Amino acid sequence: MRDVTVSFSAGLVTAVVGPSGAGKTSLLRCVNGLERPDAGRVVVDGTDTREIPPTELRRRVGMIFQTPSLFEGGVRANLIYGLGSVADEELEEVLTAVSLSPSFLERASSALSVGQAQRVCIARALVRSPHALLMDEPTASLDKDASARIEGLIGSLRDRGLTIVIVTHDLAQAKRVAEHAILLVDGVLTAEGSPADIEDAWPEEAG
Amino acid sequence: MIIDVLVVLSLVAIAIAISWRYRLALEKDLVVASVRAILQLTAVAVVVTLVFKEPAAAIGFVGVMLAVAAYTSGTRLRGIPHAFPIATGAIAAGAAATLVVLFGGRVLELTPRFVVPIAGMAIGNCMATVSIAGVRVREEIADKTSEVEARLALGVPARRALESYVRRAATVALIPIVDTTKTVGLVTLPGAFTGMLLGGASPGEAARVQLIVLFMLMGSIAIAGMSTALLVTRAFVAEGERIVVPAGP
Repeated sequence: MRDVTVSFSAGLVTAVVGPSGAGKTSLLRCVNGLERPDAGRVVVDGTDTREIPPTELRRRVGMIFQTPSLFEGGVRANLIYGLGSVADEELEEVLTAVSLSPSFLERASSALSVGQAQRVCIARALVRSPHALLMDEPTASLDKDASARIEGLIGSLRDRGLTIVIVTHDLAQAKRVAEHAILLVDGVLTAEGSPADIEDAWPEEAG
Repeated sequence: MIIDVLVVLSLVAIAIAISWRYRLALEKDLVVASVRAILQLTAVAVVVTLVFKEPAAAIGFVGVMLAVAAYTSGTRLRGIPHAFPIATGAIAAGAAATLVVLFGGRVLELTPRFVVPIAGMAIGNCMATVSIAGVRVREEIADKTSEVEARLALGVPARRALESYVRRAATVALIPIVDTTKTVGLVTLPGAFTGMLLGGASPGEAARVQLIVLFMLMGSIAIAGMSTALLVTRAFVAEGERIVVPAGP
């Protein structure tokens, strides 16, 4: 990425769109410190991320990956991973927030569909009470129905006050879920505005 | 004695004949391996004779064994940051534990005749363990990079995120010695026991020495395997609770 200056508004859904290889994922990874920018800075909640311990930063800014990755143990073990003990009510609450019934708490990870696994991943991030959620192509490995469910969830998470940044190569999806969008092409910020504005700036050759 | 070796070489001839008859194309390798074995063991016999007389030579000999073992494992772990220091440290730590207990605890006499073979066994086994544990950690982290990053993204410190891979690698490295010890005498008559019997010792004495060897190896291998897994893992942790994605071998 070069000279990308962008801010993600609190409480809104921002889509980062662009052809593959544009640097969308790198941008997200810089925000929660999985990658470090060679130059420039990342500010979260008004603080330079270099001033925030990475573990604290990542609890504040959750990340959802393209392919859901559940760890050994069942759904409960995944939700409380790294946290010690969490009250059942809290776990049931996050499961409900991702439209899974509380009975999922006792399920084995291997018994879930990919879509359910992705929702458990979102719930797992929510247990940490993040301020923001970064989603890197969260529906890329899902079928149409499961994708629609995740898209529906994005709206309800925003309504809970979460700031959401979603990376997608799919402009139609950006239009469905986001209020705001930025277009990255070859590591350069080429357009910013509503998803509809972005459509006009979409590079021809990217299809 | 030379005649004995010549008689046994007839078995090598059979191996060569099989290779030739069934076109395994191993004739040359068999000859080279046999010649090398004769030269190497003759040389070792000469060196060990000297080493048994001179304590200083014994220390030097153990040093050479450690260096060769560290080089071998270190090469296997190439691509891992600090591969050679890690291999050297882990092998030395594992072998040192054995030497301290056996000779510090006066289980065996502190003479070159005992120190050299015991150190050799400890170093050799630790070398194999370090290679297995190190390679396994690298593979685990390389294969599961996205899983590791999913853990990191939940705000877990990098070392904690890598814990289960360390555990798996250390377990894999320890399984052979545990199984060997469990089945000793039932599945195989292990090296020390066989060697002692062939050398004319009583079965009771052979069993005693074999037990010493098995128990010392358990301790040494556990130390070498675990320290390798931990050190290699640490080598993959980058500043800011991130991981360095391992390159291939």
